[in-house]
Amino acid sequence: MIRINRRKLITTSAVLAIAALTVATVPAQALNPSMGSDPGVTASTIKLGITSPLTGIASPGYSKIPGAMKAYFDYVNTNGGVNGRKITLVSKDDQYIPTTAVAKANELILRDKVFALVGTLGTASTKALTASTQLSKRGIPSLFVNTGWSGFADKKAYPTTFSILPSYQMEAKIMAKYVKETYAGKKIALIYQDDDFGRDALAGFKTAGLTFTTTIGYASGSQALPATGAGWISKLKAAGTDVTVFFGVTSAATAALANAYGAGYKTQWVLSSVSGDATAVAAANPAYVPLLFGAKGFSFAPAPTDTTDEYIKLFQGIYAAAQPKLTFDNNVVAGMSNAFLVVQALKAAGPNLTRKGLISAIETKGSTFANPFLTPLGYSTTSHSGANGYWVGTFGPTGMLTPDGGKYTVYSTDSGTGPVELSTYKRPAMPAKGL
Amino acid sequence: MNQFLDMVLIGISAASIYSLMAISMVLVWRSTRVVNFAQAGMALLSAYIGYELVARIGNFWIALPLAMILGAAFSAFIEFVLMRTLQKHSTQGAIAAIAPIIATLGLLGLIRAGIGFIWGHGDVQIQAPLSKVGFKFGDTTIIMNPMSLFVLLFVIALMIIVSIVFQKTNIGLALRASAYAPEIAQLAGIRVSGIRTLGWAIAGAAGAAAGILQTVSGTGSLTPESLEFSLLLVFGFIAAVIGGLESLPGAVLGALILGLVLAAVQIYIGGALVFIVAFLLLLLVLIVRPQGFLGSKAGRRA
Amino acid sequence: MLKKHPIVTFIFFGFILFLISNRLDELRVYQGATVAIYAIGVASLILLIGYSGQVSLGHGALLAIGGYAAALARIYYEAPIWLTFVVAVLAAAIGGALLGLAAARLSGPYLAGTTLALAIGLPSIANQFPILGGEQGIIFDIGLPPTSLGEDFTQYKWFFWISWTVALITLYWLRNVLNSRYGRGWRAVRSNDVAAELAGLHVGRNKVLAFTISAGLAGLAGALLAMTINLASPGVFPLALSFSLATGAVLSGVTTLGGIMIGSVTLVAIPEIALAIANRYGSETITTNLPGLLVSALLILTVLFVPNGPVEQMHAKRAKKGHSSHSPVEISVRVGHKTWSTKK
Repeated sequence: MIRINRRKLITTSAVLAIAALTVATVPAQALNPSMGSDPGVTASTIKLGITSPLTGIASPGYSKIPGAMKAYFDYVNTNGGVNGRKITLVSKDDQYIPTTAVAKANELILRDKVFALVGTLGTASTKALTASTQLSKRGIPSLFVNTGWSGFADKKAYPTTFSILPSYQMEAKIMAKYVKETYAGKKIALIYQDDDFGRDALAGFKTAGLTFTTTIGYASGSQALPATGAGWISKLKAAGTDVTVFFGVTSAATAALANAYGAGYKTQWVLSSVSGDATAVAAANPAYVPLLFGAKGFSFAPAPTDTTDEYIKLFQGIYAAAQPKLTFDNNVVAGMSNAFLVVQALKAAGPNLTRKGLISAIETKGSTFANPFLTPLGYSTTSHSGANGYWVGTFGPTGMLTPDGGKYTVYSTDSGTGPVELSTYKRPAMPAKGL
Repeated sequence: MNQFLDMVLIGISAASIYSLMAISMVLVWRSTRVVNFAQAGMALLSAYIGYELVARIGNFWIALPLAMILGAAFSAFIEFVLMRTLQKHSTQGAIAAIAPIIATLGLLGLIRAGIGFIWGHGDVQIQAPLSKVGFKFGDTTIIMNPMSLFVLLFVIALMIIVSIVFQKTNIGLALRASAYAPEIAQLAGIRVSGIRTLGWAIAGAAGAAAGILQTVSGTGSLTPESLEFSLLLVFGFIAAVIGGLESLPGAVLGALILGLVLAAVQIYIGGALVFIVAFLLLLLVLIVRPQGFLGSKAGRRA
Repeated sequence: MLKKHPIVTFIFFGFILFLISNRLDELRVYQGATVAIYAIGVASLILLIGYSGQVSLGHGALLAIGGYAAALARIYYEAPIWLTFVVAVLAAAIGGALLGLAAARLSGPYLAGTTLALAIGLPSIANQFPILGGEQGIIFDIGLPPTSLGEDFTQYKWFFWISWTVALITLYWLRNVLNSRYGRGWRAVRSNDVAAELAGLHVGRNKVLAFTISAGLAGLAGALLAMTINLASPGVFPLALSFSLATGAVLSGVTTLGGIMIGSVTLVAIPEIALAIANRYGSETITTNLPGLLVSALLILTVLFVPNGPVEQMHAKRAKKGHSSHSPVEISVRVGHKTWSTKK
């Protein structure tokens, strides 16, 4: 009979702790970043990693992105890969929670030993994992992050991170110019999410000189309360608003549209690219998609329904073969465009593939990469900024956004105080077979 | 004036939803002196069951009462299996106070994981059976529509039924007695444990209604991590506390106060402050009048 | 050995950890740091719930106060690391004192519900003050490990050393406090506050003190957590964190520090185990749902069958057989024909 006493118990606890920590570990020395070739690259493979919300509150729509990227990578692999190497994508779910994103990024870097991270989603998550996993100290590239926060374009702060989306300030400035010119003299209201995301846009509206007769901020998350959407509409009605600009998340936009419909209130909606995500609306409740009809929306890639566009045709073909059951929409275009750009970058880095080489390839040649976007890319040795413009379109009854005037009129600007100008960019032709 | 009317109507609509959850929590409290933090989880499960029923039967009006019955059954099952075992094993020590709370938290996690497993994490929808377009008076449309009117009437009806049951029937007497003085009730021949299960069952029905009606009043979509349900739990709890955790009419009154205050904040001040105001309201009530507006001074402590 | 030479035990444990840290790969080192942080957080709840009998479901909010305070001290005053931790403890302790004052009149579910509401409302508070960085939060960078430790000394190992040094010192200190008259006072109030008051203890002050110290510990854990994530933001302190800590406390056994490692290690180990199982079956649904399922099931089973925690359970078994290693304080008061007693 074992005499259990306190001492033994504490010792047992200690042993348990030690055992738990050492169980199933490969006893290894501390990480040696400077020796040997970069992890994730062999003579025949390249391993990339992505962490994004596959489940959870932000997942409708965005959950399609990793699958879309993989579809394009597989297409490239069947056509010989990049410089003879085939690409594998390891995808993790962070549920849009920053601490989970950090944990998953750690797994990708330390356990899966990926060559680079691609397409991480969400400002808070990206910020957290970049800082915590010390991407810059380890020299790990974080390519084409899926967020519009302008800070990631700052090379000094984020030397190994590259943006791809236009920043929220850029978007706000372009929206402002459009609204000022098209709806001059009308009463214009703004509904925005009261956090960094929405306040970034506020700064952009201010820079572009757009003033609102009514400004409504909402606490992130409060759109889930029953009274919130109705409260917005009541305020808009009382102010006699003609045009309502919306800069928030899709669930909030859905609440606004639904409540406007319920109150029989008509206004011209001008939705930002994040709010006007028809796929997310459809994923939440398909019955609400028709509410988008007539609203104005913004995008910088070709419309998913535009079969005259060579990139769209190519992507549609690839995706239909890879995921025949899923619909081809703006998120698929986003994912495949991201993957396309990754492949261009890997190609430019040459057969002797290193992390440093990849980063400098993007910096020196990135602005000339072939890509599906309708705006130029801003990569240079001083900036890691990606696309910088938007075109305006109108939502159809099925939620598809088509450009006003039948053609893409793109306006571009910067994240600072520069003017918004009509873009004269001509997109270079797609490389043969889209490779 | 128009805005004021809007505010009142919005507040009342929101209040009807909170009050269903508040009623559910008060019922559980009154029958077993436990605050069930899994209430929202159970409401979520009932909402999913409602979704399944609507999908299979195709008729919301049959699915709703059926889901309520199933919700009641599930709730009774939980009381029977979880709460009673808890009572047997942990009536003493520090853990006694928090064991039920921790257990219900665990239950919440189990339910969420279970839902994710069965129905997946994508959204499912319950489409609203009634129009959400506001009533028209002349050419003004007010912010009350058939759906929210139904919810309001439903709550009133439920309140009346539950009050009658509690005050005028023998079962109601037994329910009240079992909560306040279980030993005496037992001596009087009441099967206290059975009565407790009944209390949970009724609460489960109310919770199911809260979950389903909230879903169809909102966007109609459900996911295991629905933020709406976490908020429903907290706001239902706040409403119950404001009115007095002991009192059913209090639950409705508390919900009404909460709904109106939040609507006023939304419209006249700014939506960004909603959560802070709710929390401050809770603190205020707890400090100034901890037994709630309709509660009596005695018997407030756990 | 622990009873007779507690300092030696702690130092010995620390030495073992030092040895381990050199043999583990980085992921394990990072997780090891997380275990230390959870240990402090769980300890704060053991104090509050187990010893003082007050429930907090929103301790994450107190961790957040500590995390933000440390980050702000670092950014605006360039405070050295140890000072940021001190600031974190003080800030959270003040928050805890305020909360404790408000909560002293609350009990059971009221307290639980209020702390829950606080935890849910925290993000919107962070959004109101731009200095707190809103949704994205503010950076908390404690800098690189000192060069004297060598070229290959990684950042994660540095986190591990800092976290465990702080954890060991804190647990040692807490253990002493719990065994002191304060600890006995809390236990007395928890068992029967009327009797305790009659015995001369000031119940209100007693409870607020417990809350304050618990909050200070939580703040420390929060600062360490922000350190490992390099960030203090609402997303670093979600509601799930509060629930995890409560779970860890119950799994460890709420009434004593002895089993604290059990809870802390389990919290970190469960997702790993779940991942391993999920990988074997290769199913998406399992990967996402299994960790939550395991933790919740474990929690319910523990509360049902081992409610006082494994340590107490063993004590109880021994006590039944007639052995006893400690005599609890017993107070019996008789007024007229009614008797209150702390003996249960």
